[in-house]
Amino acid sequence: MIRENPKIIRRRKLGRRSVLAAGGGVAAAASFGFPSIAQSSLRGTRLTVLASNWFVPENNTQLDQLAADVSRDTGMEVRIERFAGDELSTKVASVIATGRGADIAVGVEFDTYLYANRLADVTELADEIGRTYGGWFDVAQAACMVNGRWRSLCIGQAPAAWNYRVDHFAAAGINQFPDTFDDLLKAAQTLHARGTPIGMTLGHASGDGRSTNYPVLWAFGGKEFADDGRTVTLDSPQTLQAVEWYAEIYKYFIPGTTAWLDADNNQAFLASRISATVNVNTIYLASRAAADPARKAVADNMNHGLWPRGPAGRFANYNINVWLPFASSQNQEGQRAFLRAWYSRNFLPNWTKTGQSYFIPTFAGFDKEDVWPADPKLQIFRELNKLNRLPGHSGPPTPAAAEAVSKYILVDMFAKACTGQMKPAEAVKWAAREYEQIARRRRN
Amino acid sequence: MTATSRAAGASPRRRLSDLLEQERVLGYVLVGPVVILLLALVAYPFVVAVGYALSSRTIADPGVFIGFENFVYLWESQIYRRTVRNTCLFTLGSVTIRIVLGVSLALILNEMFPFRRLVRASVLLPWIVPTVLGTMAWLWMFNPNFSVINWALVNFGLVSQGPNWLTDPDLALFSVTLVNAWRGTPFMAVVVLAALQAIPNELYEAATIDGAGKFQRFRYVTLPLVMPVLLTALVLSIIWTFSDFGIVYGLTRGGPMNSTHVLATLSYEAGLRAGNIGEGAAISLTMLPALLVLIVWQLRRIRRSAI
Repeated sequence: MIRENPKIIRRRKLGRRSVLAAGGGVAAAASFGFPSIAQSSLRGTRLTVLASNWFVPENNTQLDQLAADVSRDTGMEVRIERFAGDELSTKVASVIATGRGADIAVGVEFDTYLYANRLADVTELADEIGRTYGGWFDVAQAACMVNGRWRSLCIGQAPAAWNYRVDHFAAAGINQFPDTFDDLLKAAQTLHARGTPIGMTLGHASGDGRSTNYPVLWAFGGKEFADDGRTVTLDSPQTLQAVEWYAEIYKYFIPGTTAWLDADNNQAFLASRISATVNVNTIYLASRAAADPARKAVADNMNHGLWPRGPAGRFANYNINVWLPFASSQNQEGQRAFLRAWYSRNFLPNWTKTGQSYFIPTFAGFDKEDVWPADPKLQIFRELNKLNRLPGHSGPPTPAAAEAVSKYILVDMFAKACTGQMKPAEAVKWAAREYEQIARRRRN
Repeated sequence: MTATSRAAGASPRRRLSDLLEQERVLGYVLVGPVVILLLALVAYPFVVAVGYALSSRTIADPGVFIGFENFVYLWESQIYRRTVRNTCLFTLGSVTIRIVLGVSLALILNEMFPFRRLVRASVLLPWIVPTVLGTMAWLWMFNPNFSVINWALVNFGLVSQGPNWLTDPDLALFSVTLVNAWRGTPFMAVVVLAALQAIPNELYEAATIDGAGKFQRFRYVTLPLVMPVLLTALVLSIIWTFSDFGIVYGLTRGGPMNSTHVLATLSYEAGLRAGNIGEGAAISLTMLPALLVLIVWQLRRIRRSAI
């Protein structure tokens, strides 16, 4: 005789009860007005949430408060465990591999399609949330959907803008941030001649490495993959043009950018060593809040600019954070309760506004919401929020595209040409070969 | 009554006691826990790693058996070949610096001088401080834009522009090697110092009476007696350096242009960041042949010296 595990019986009972509770819960939750999520079936359960530390400290406090509120209203113990960036991704990988350790986690966009078969299907919830906020951006769907099903929910993206010193540019006779790549090159030459060079990250920086380099490729019309997401198309005249442009502008950079990690361009800009770089708005937020007058002067003298328009258009690439609901979780009802609370009207708009456009949820309707900071120097982020494309563009995001990002192949392609280690055409061929190898193995 | 029938009639406790009296049985009992520990903590993970390396396993998918495909893929990758070269140069460079500096430091610390104990204790600092902390300090000293070393070199008028410590591919590999050597030298120094202090003074006195000079005393007395300890420290240093992760990852993440990637950092990127556990395991296992040769050689040496 097969004896049933009492825990499984209890879970099944909870499930039945939750179906009954859902009848009343749906109506209440339709408005996404937290704390209308009260579900007695969750009482006594536990939800472990893995999170990182977002740049704006108040955003972290808000998450803690949300956990406390959900705990109070549902009787479910919500526990937040925080890890630093790389540590968090390792912890997520461990939960995926073992099926133990957490119920839900903050992840990045690659995690969705690397771990799709180990993530819970949250399609219905995603549809409800999308309707509430005027629809998800395409980039959110690309980041969170696999085979037509939502396997994660987009928390938001950190738009990387051109941060530039208005005073340095004005002194060089440039009154607005360049709108074409030719103009950006000319600006770099002039600024370099005046001793105030620009700098773009060409090192193995996990965030800035791709947000700085992928937009250049796309703007010139270069593509890693064809629309099918399988055929490598990197070796093209458009890619070569992008690499040649990069090799030219690199001559006018501050020395050392091939060794830059994520913090280095921030430091160089804050120390007034460079006139422009690609970064999220952390440079501005940090200098604006600084007590040191020299630091504060950086905020007064800087602004943000859009990526220049290339032959193929204007593109950008940002880091995306997503909620990963683990399929192995024994508390999937709790996952949904927590996610409903996160995306509730009482929480998300306020969280977004507090974040000062550092992290912006990817909803079309947010354009009209009161979530944007009043500071004029942060206004551009409303526009930047619409430009993001994922690695692998214009094909769908794939594990092969993610692997190429993790191996910094595109960053190194540019760096090899810039430093003269390879001629531009050789660098393109080298990168295309690495892509081919990755794609071939992923296809097998 | 025969011995067997006596044993059969005895109490279980007595029988156990009799059994343990037999040297052959006692030997197995004593060695048993060690064997179990080795099987659980060394053999099992190793066999699992080999299994992973021969499979298409990813973090989210158990994959299938693919034979040596991961190794063939790696061999075709320029990044991997560059990484193997980097790892060899990194290990060779670091261990050479450690031996030269470690032995020199030990010889100095073995002399009498004021505050000798304090100096001996401070020498250990690089070995004691957490890797991350030490690496952060070096990152600041090698910073492309704010290097304190370059600042000093320029301000003392020694150079007009400081070296590109982490930007130039060759210099970047040297820089990470230097930091690894900085961290490992105290261990080498302390081990050699312990060996130096175990050498009886009479041997030096006898050598002096026989007319040996300072260099000859080092060549014919010190070196032969220190050599067994030095070789052990050398083998350990090679193993630790070969599998080092923290220093390279903290300073360069393997950049610029993969010029500082070592097998451990590449394995992390392939296995955890890209999710290819099979490839990550295959990269790690390529360290095995070289390390195995060293370990077998070391074990044979230890056994010979024990005999």
